[in-house]
Amino acid sequence: MTHAIRADKFLLDADRTTWHDETLWFVREKRDRAAYGVPEFQELRELASGIKNHTLSRLDLYLQEFEAAAQANGVHVHWAADAAEHNAIILDIIQKEGATRIVKSKSMLTEECHLNPYLIKHGIEVVDTDLGERIIQFRDEAPSHIVLPAIHLKKEDVGDTFHTHLGTTKGESDPQRLTEAARQHLRAKFLAGQVAISGVNFAIAETGAVVVCTNEGNADLGVNLARVHIAAMGIEKIIPRLSDLGVFTRLLARSATGQPVTTYTSHFTKPAPGKEMHIVIVDNGRTQQLGRPDFRASLKCIRCGACMNTCPVYRRSGGHSYDFTVPGPIGAILSPNIDMKKHASLPFASTLCGSCTDVCPVKIDIHTQLYKWRQVLGEANEIPASKKWSMKFMGRVLASTRVYGLGGQFARKALRLLPHGLTHATSVNAWAVARELPEAPKQSFREWYAKQPAPAAQPAQPQIPA
Amino acid sequence: MSTASRERILAAAKANKPEELPLPTVPDFGGEATIERFTTVLTGIGGTMVRMAGLNELEETLRQLFPEDRLKASTIATATIKVDAQTPTDVLADIDLAVLQGEIGVAENGAVWLPETNMLHRALPTITQHLALVLDHRRIVATMHQAYAQLPSTGGYGKFVAGPSKTADIEQSLVIGAHGARSLVVLLY
Repeated sequence: MTHAIRADKFLLDADRTTWHDETLWFVREKRDRAAYGVPEFQELRELASGIKNHTLSRLDLYLQEFEAAAQANGVHVHWAADAAEHNAIILDIIQKEGATRIVKSKSMLTEECHLNPYLIKHGIEVVDTDLGERIIQFRDEAPSHIVLPAIHLKKEDVGDTFHTHLGTTKGESDPQRLTEAARQHLRAKFLAGQVAISGVNFAIAETGAVVVCTNEGNADLGVNLARVHIAAMGIEKIIPRLSDLGVFTRLLARSATGQPVTTYTSHFTKPAPGKEMHIVIVDNGRTQQLGRPDFRASLKCIRCGACMNTCPVYRRSGGHSYDFTVPGPIGAILSPNIDMKKHASLPFASTLCGSCTDVCPVKIDIHTQLYKWRQVLGEANEIPASKKWSMKFMGRVLASTRVYGLGGQFARKALRLLPHGLTHATSVNAWAVARELPEAPKQSFREWYAKQPAPAAQPAQPQIPA
Repeated sequence: MSTASRERILAAAKANKPEELPLPTVPDFGGEATIERFTTVLTGIGGTMVRMAGLNELEETLRQLFPEDRLKASTIATATIKVDAQTPTDVLADIDLAVLQGEIGVAENGAVWLPETNMLHRALPTITQHLALVLDHRRIVATMHQAYAQLPSTGGYGKFVAGPSKTADIEQSLVIGAHGARSLVVLLY
């Protein structure tokens, strides 16, 4: 199924689509105000990009430096080549602890690896503790945004879900009261949690620490109450120095939600006495992406979601239409690396307007990569025949002045003479699904120009000495 | 299985990485290290600022701010409950107020650095219903660059705390008091 088909489903509710569009644009505006409030914001983006480029160019060395520092801190470091290994490692740690109650803070990596269903299948209770994630976990849905996982839902939807799962009053839709209900419910889970799983925003090679940024405090609460902490990170989360966080913490929340910083920026370096800390370092296709010169910059992503909030296609099609852990423009350049066939339609879910590139805090050339993926997909024969042949045909027409002129003459006549039902048949003309064609002009610009009187003779041009 | 994967990942990263690029030097961008800026930003993110002439006003300030609170844990004020790294979860869960010493205040974002050594228990700053951070006004810096430059180390655990716990996960409506402390006050002396 393609992005366009899934987006059609989202678009059935016009009011909700408009609301979704406006809400995310509001977040984009908050981002702008926060960014303009920092005079050196553009310099910070350049620095962040430079630090990430440098890190990728020495990735193997920094990973080893990080591992050695973490081990010196008393942390267990694990390596997982793919999702299956990541899941098996985590299950093993949980089983060795004899634990069945797990609290988890937000981690797109564990979503990517489908950790929750795997653990549940093995009899483990996994509770997502981020409010948005808990809401969609109750509803058995995937996140529709990496920072705002439940942005596709209205407060009435959340009210219904909480009525079913938490016993809140039917029809209750006040965000304050719903959040309080979740606070009470999750507090019991935090207190009972035996193992806490967190994601990682930044992993510092120099100190071996992992840094987790949240607004709710759920990572801190879960990790510091459980006996065992498991932090799951992709290999691209590495940054060289503690001082580099000065750059990234100034960019992350401002780009994501327009906040000056997240409420909690927590540095987990050593386990508390008597407790355990594990870090699982995951590849799952990332080294392959590193080997694609045109696409490796996608590994610089710090998961702020700014490209989604600004994207005219994402805002009007919703995160679920991408059918990938990371939706939006960045998801559309990450996903074909994982499964080119399955995600072939995503690089086309873009107008190539470049807004994503403009807001990216680490200066990933997202729209250029979208364009380049289209070339790769075309070469690999992963685009529908209708699109492929119509593009080839149009390429021929547009390359020849004569064919283009004849084609124009034919089209102008045909549009006037043929019945509306035929020119606007949606089976052959996708344009007409939601739009009228313009009235065909009697003549083209070239025909009009040819009929104009010859321009007055130009005065002699001054001679340029040889 | 982990060892083989380690070798495979490191080998692939080495083989696929681009030619080495330089690590940029991050300048100190200067900025406004003022109490006014810190206060404006802190208030904007849902925190409260209370000025004290000196630490001798701490007890009286706390009495006025939290007349009702029953269980108070603290490193620097009179506590009504003793907390250390071994305090069990069910005892921590009942704590109403934690009064802890913050080390560095960041004017650009209202954050305060709180190291593990000032927390009594790692979970205390988030499990307490209300959090008060005591801060020396001379420790306010302009930006995160300057804050990190002043940190000798991040210890075993430490965090920047910027305002009370919050969420906007329901329809983007801001709600203060998600899972962590419901309120945050900075007591500046």
